[in-house]
Amino acid sequence: MSFFGFGQSADIEIQLDGSDTRKMAEMKTEDGKKERYYLYYDGESVSGKVNVSLKKPGSRLEHQGIKIEFVGQIELYYDRGNHHEFTSLVKELARPGELTQNGSFEFEFNQVEKPYESYSGTNVRLRYFLRVTVVRRLSDIVREMDLLVHTLSSYPEMNNSIKMEVGIEDCLHIEFEYNKSKYHLKDVIVGKIYFLLVRIKIKHMEIAIIKRETTGSGPNTFNENETIAKYEIMDGAPVRGESIPIRVFLAGYDLTPTMRDINKKFSVRYYLNLVLVDEEERRYFKQQEITLWRKGERLRRPLQQQLLAQQHALQQLHLNNQQSKFPQSHPHGQPQEYVPQMPSTGAEPPSPQQSQSPMHEEAPEKVESNPSIQPQSRQPAASVTPPQPQPEAEPAEEEETTPKLPSPPTEPPNSIDSPEEEFLEAQAGSPSEDDDVGEEEEAVKPSSAVSQEPVPVAQ
Amino acid sequence: MDEQDKLLDEAMGAVRGQAFQMKRCLDKGRLMDGLKHASNMLGELRTSLLSPKTYYELYMCICDELRHLEMYLIDEFQKGHRVADLYELVQYAGNIVPRLYLLITVGLVYIKTNETCKRDILKDLVEMCRGVQHPLRGLFLRNYLLQCSRNILPDMEDPPVGHNPEEFPAGSISDSVDFILMNFAEMNKLWVRMQHQGHSRDKEKRERERQELRILVGTNLVRLSQLEHVDVERYKKSVLPGILEQAVSCRDPLSQEYLMECIIQVFPDEFHLQTLSAFLKACAELHSEVNVKNIIISLIDRLANFAHREDGTGIPDEIKLFEIFSEQVSQVIKSRPDMPMEDTVSLQVSLVNLAQKCYPDEIEYVDKVMQNTLEVFQKLNIDKIHSGSALGKELSRLLRLPADNYNNLLTVLQLQYYTPLLNLLDYSGRKILSTYLVTNAVDNETCIPTQEQVDAVLSMIASLICDQSDQPLVDPDPEDLAEEQGLLARFLHLFKSTNSDQQYLILTTARKHLGAGGNKRVLYTLPPLVFQAYQLAFKYYAEREEDDKWGKKVHKIFQFSHQTITALVKAEYAELPLRLFLQGALAIDKIDFENHETVAYEFMSQAFSLYEDEISDSKAQLAAMTLIMGTFQQTTCFSEENHEPLRTQCALAASKLLKKPDQARGVTTCSHLFWSARSLATNKEELRDEKRVLECLKKAVRIANQCMDPSAQIQLFVELLNHYIYFYEKGNTQVTVAMLNQLISKVKEDLANLETTEDTDQISRHLTNTLTHLQLRLQEPPSDGPNYEGLQL
Repeated sequence: MSFFGFGQSADIEIQLDGSDTRKMAEMKTEDGKKERYYLYYDGESVSGKVNVSLKKPGSRLEHQGIKIEFVGQIELYYDRGNHHEFTSLVKELARPGELTQNGSFEFEFNQVEKPYESYSGTNVRLRYFLRVTVVRRLSDIVREMDLLVHTLSSYPEMNNSIKMEVGIEDCLHIEFEYNKSKYHLKDVIVGKIYFLLVRIKIKHMEIAIIKRETTGSGPNTFNENETIAKYEIMDGAPVRGESIPIRVFLAGYDLTPTMRDINKKFSVRYYLNLVLVDEEERRYFKQQEITLWRKGERLRRPLQQQLLAQQHALQQLHLNNQQSKFPQSHPHGQPQEYVPQMPSTGAEPPSPQQSQSPMHEEAPEKVESNPSIQPQSRQPAASVTPPQPQPEAEPAEEEETTPKLPSPPTEPPNSIDSPEEEFLEAQAGSPSEDDDVGEEEEAVKPSSAVSQEPVPVAQ
Repeated sequence: MDEQDKLLDEAMGAVRGQAFQMKRCLDKGRLMDGLKHASNMLGELRTSLLSPKTYYELYMCICDELRHLEMYLIDEFQKGHRVADLYELVQYAGNIVPRLYLLITVGLVYIKTNETCKRDILKDLVEMCRGVQHPLRGLFLRNYLLQCSRNILPDMEDPPVGHNPEEFPAGSISDSVDFILMNFAEMNKLWVRMQHQGHSRDKEKRERERQELRILVGTNLVRLSQLEHVDVERYKKSVLPGILEQAVSCRDPLSQEYLMECIIQVFPDEFHLQTLSAFLKACAELHSEVNVKNIIISLIDRLANFAHREDGTGIPDEIKLFEIFSEQVSQVIKSRPDMPMEDTVSLQVSLVNLAQKCYPDEIEYVDKVMQNTLEVFQKLNIDKIHSGSALGKELSRLLRLPADNYNNLLTVLQLQYYTPLLNLLDYSGRKILSTYLVTNAVDNETCIPTQEQVDAVLSMIASLICDQSDQPLVDPDPEDLAEEQGLLARFLHLFKSTNSDQQYLILTTARKHLGAGGNKRVLYTLPPLVFQAYQLAFKYYAEREEDDKWGKKVHKIFQFSHQTITALVKAEYAELPLRLFLQGALAIDKIDFENHETVAYEFMSQAFSLYEDEISDSKAQLAAMTLIMGTFQQTTCFSEENHEPLRTQCALAASKLLKKPDQARGVTTCSHLFWSARSLATNKEELRDEKRVLECLKKAVRIANQCMDPSAQIQLFVELLNHYIYFYEKGNTQVTVAMLNQLISKVKEDLANLETTEDTDQISRHLTNTLTHLQLRLQEPPSDGPNYEGLQL
């Protein structure tokens, strides 16, 4: 600000009330670094003091007034010039005049509405800040201070489990269930996958949490997918009748609440992507949207209770649980005389023909162009889930026990091991009600046209 | 260094590196970094390239290192530095294999430092391990879980019924059983699944590798057996059914065989006794390739030994061990039509074993097994079993068992179904087994005391007794036959009753069987009967005071003997019946029954006619003649009327011998008949016909003189000299010192003219000995003997 040689003649400092006790939280800045900010909730008053101190004692500062604004705005990175303010409150701190000595001005935005959660994404950010302006004739002296806002939600009234049967005709048939459809940010996803038919050589199975940031509207919609977490939940090939437990702790990952159509500017949605990888590195997946929400104070329960709750959650799942039955097939066995035994799921017996949502695989493209898929002698653990240590930037929150052990991967989604092996899920027969991430990817990859067509199995 | 070693080396290097880092971080108190290195280290266990053996080495190495982490955590926890949410923290590991190893390690630390969450953590761990479905990795992971939980599984009574289990968070025995059974089931499934991995051409290798890994599965059962509160009731109610359900449903022969064997070996016999039916029922349901026989045999053998053990309590009375086994074994046989017959028989073998060991007095049990076996064969219309086949061998084993056990052929005879079963074997099988039985009887000196038993035994061993319809067309090797029949002959001597009448019946019965044996066998088998008969005759004679019909009976016995010997004659033997007749004559001579002279005469005359009609070889003739004369000389029963013709006949026959030396010797021998033979005529005193003696000797000298061969001649003279001396010493006055002198000088003279050969050497020694004797007599004449005055040596 001093490029005219004048120099800033005064420093502005914003001191928030109760700042020594106020909680702070992290947020990524535009350049990817994490900063800590004071944390506010919707309806909380924002009050404090603005100190204006003169650089040179004894000098004077003429001004056309001093004001403080509370601004909530959405910035779309592709539209730098246009910031969409959805909140803007102004308080006048001083009428035009002259400062001859350091001044201190109290302010208060009483029970200010903060409808949205602070967010910093790939293409958009939503920020709240205070801006103090000492209005001057030539150049205003401005001081901004970012605040962080978390939106707390109450327990969702409806929170059904997510249950689905998916498959590829005569190849793979699974039924999976996640215990809820709405998870708070420190929640645990408990689930189960039941294998009804396995005729492919599965190598492993993982669950990924995918964040999809949608900005813009109409033809100018931009989707940005980011794999927040990749979590192996099964190693090796199961046989028919196996059921595999899922348990994913969310607290360790960098997640935000689900945001839907925030001020008609953007959305942030989360998906659980269940991926099966076979020995030829073909990937079969199914995505399910989950809703994330932020809960109030997080209370730690003793381990025993947690375990109980998780075990309870597992038992609640309605999936088949025929562990005692010995699986009669092996991964590449002959077709079995398959008798569906689904006692509690209700009216629809799951048979391959009635699969609600077939999973489809695509033939690998360009396999020959990428001979390096051959199994390496020893895969470094990092190749599947690079345990990049989180920046050690949070020593103050020791009691929060944020896990540092294996931090979630932050790689962009197109960097998964073998992108050309990516497979889509088809909504055979019926038009999809919910927009699937997979469709987007299909669009991104036109070369998938050479792959085998999805076979409709359900009418 | 092969490929596997190289891979292992590489992995070990990485493990050591990460372990070092881990320990350094822990030393500095940087737990999170320590865990990260632990996770990296565990990442090595994600490999798919190692063989089970190599993977095991890697696993062991990593387990060692993990112990450091465990010790550190326990230490920290005990110092009160509990790391909040550690159980959750380790679950952020992205890869499932390292994650679960860490989770187990941490979970066990929680349990060891705080009992209250034991049950829930155990439950959680065993459930979460499902995530690893890769057989090898899953097996080792679950083995790690099992190893870690070794000493901490709750082993206390269940809370009383009606209590909320949540109030007992440390868990109880049911929790432990559930835990292990679940782990076991999952491990077994993984183990079974191994066989479907990879190429089918490597099947053999995979089977081998699976065998190497079976101990991992079996450890679960060991762990169960180590729980103190697994008592009979619990074993019966939950433990065994759990294991069996898994074993049966996995339908994998390798696994089933191992698991069943494992159950038998791992759990105490007292448990087995209480769960026999369940166990055996499961056996019937096993895969058809499973060698059920081995399993059941293993169990039977164990229980049989248990019943035998000194410190044990034996089989409780309420457990009908044999009935249960018998019942279940037949179920198993019924349910497995594909089971090889030899296995069926093997099962019967072990049943017999069981019956004999546990119920030594219950012969019916053994017979029942024989009956069942027989019925199985009959059902399948099997009427001939090749003894060289596996089935034949098993059946032979089954049949040998009672003999080995009882060491008493009579007990074997009580088994009604034994002989019919034995008869299913082919000729050689029957013969070998019969030989075995006979040897057993001979070794144990088992007497067969009744006619019925003799009848049964001889029917049982018919293959040794007479020709069989299925025997080979070629004649057996004579030496083998001699050995076999010789054994049988020894056995016949064991046909013995204390009751003489019974003994007679025994002999006639045996005679009936043996008589059918054909010419080759009777040579061996009839003589013992004849001798037995003679013995019996002596016995009647000894008992003549008690039995007034003894004379008639003895007569009958000699008739029997006569017939028997005649049978040998008919079989175209001569020398043997001749000797038997002579032996008979001797026996008759000593037994003073009515008409015994006539009978003895008949026997003698039979011997004579055999000599005359059948014996043509000159040596044999001389030997027979000598025997006849010897026998005749021993008899005393003849009146002159009979004695005279026999005597004359002997002399005649002797002089009619073909060769001169034989003639000489025969006549010389005959001389004794005129000296020491006794008859009724002489009032059973010696005949002492001095004149006839001398005539004989002179005739012998005359014949000797006709010999052309000088050495043979001198030999005869030396022999004759001895006879002269004999009669001289006996007091035959017709023999004079002058005769002796003449003979001595002739022999000396001739001998000097002979070349020295081995023969002459012997002759001169004979002469020297004779002369030495005379010298002695000359110097010290015996008080009652004649004197040798005038003898010129």
